[in-house]
Amino acid sequence: MEQLLAFIGHYMFLLFGLLAVGGAVALVFSKNAVHSVVGFLFAMLNVAACYLTLDAEFLAVAQLLVYAGGIVVLFLFVVMLVEMTKYKEKGLFQLQTPWAVGMVVVGAAAFLGVFWKTWFGPNAKVALTLNEGIVGTLKVGSENAQAVSRGLFADYLLPFEILSVILLVALVGAVVLAKTERV
Amino acid sequence: MVSMNSVLFISFLLFSVGVAGVLIRRNALIILMCVELMLNAANLNLVAFARHAGTVAGQAFALLVMGLAAAEVAIGLALVVALYRKKDSIQVDQINLLKG
Repeated sequence: MEQLLAFIGHYMFLLFGLLAVGGAVALVFSKNAVHSVVGFLFAMLNVAACYLTLDAEFLAVAQLLVYAGGIVVLFLFVVMLVEMTKYKEKGLFQLQTPWAVGMVVVGAAAFLGVFWKTWFGPNAKVALTLNEGIVGTLKVGSENAQAVSRGLFADYLLPFEILSVILLVALVGAVVLAKTERV
Repeated sequence: MVSMNSVLFISFLLFSVGVAGVLIRRNALIILMCVELMLNAANLNLVAFARHAGTVAGQAFALLVMGLAAAEVAIGLALVVALYRKKDSIQVDQINLLKG
């Protein structure tokens, strides 16, 4: 049973990951900005599912709350505020698109070469998964939130506090930037 | 068990799509969303390596990255709205005030 679950988990991860990539492709290549936002939402939901298969339950819920609940709604509001209709005819892509696609393909080919070597090359390594020696120390399930909060509030308190200051600055900055001049 | 290679591969695909979107799209909103995609690809890697190492440090930092992404989106969208007010356009190739 355990082995079956682990086996299924791998394929679930691949399924959700490829769905997330599909949502990302829909984001980049759709003409309508609202369709792009829907593709973004789909990608984020699938990344949350990937977190679930990677034993990060708290992070999956946080991803759902922050992205699906907050950021996507924010994007939709701005799509509504910014009138898109008059740019339909001016073309979707930049002038440098062929160059940009060429560069991305070259970079991707380099990375794919590395992946190819690690999978099929003469020195192909055994696939890296969970360290066998530390299985007991990994907190999953109901203990995951406790473990993450202990990490955030005890071990990494300083980055957490710095992030709170950054959020405050971003809040004030967003208000200042979006404010009309007349007021 | 999810193998590390498949996590890295999916995260690599997400990141490349994000880079391609930032480079080829004209719409500033889409560019912002693609930056979010790249941050998510990095987050996926953080979570996978945290799982491999058996500590929650990676998950804690993924949470911090998520908060940073939220701050970045707030600022970016405020910039987009301000640009639209000033130039009546959010097409990045039309915003060339600094061009010599």
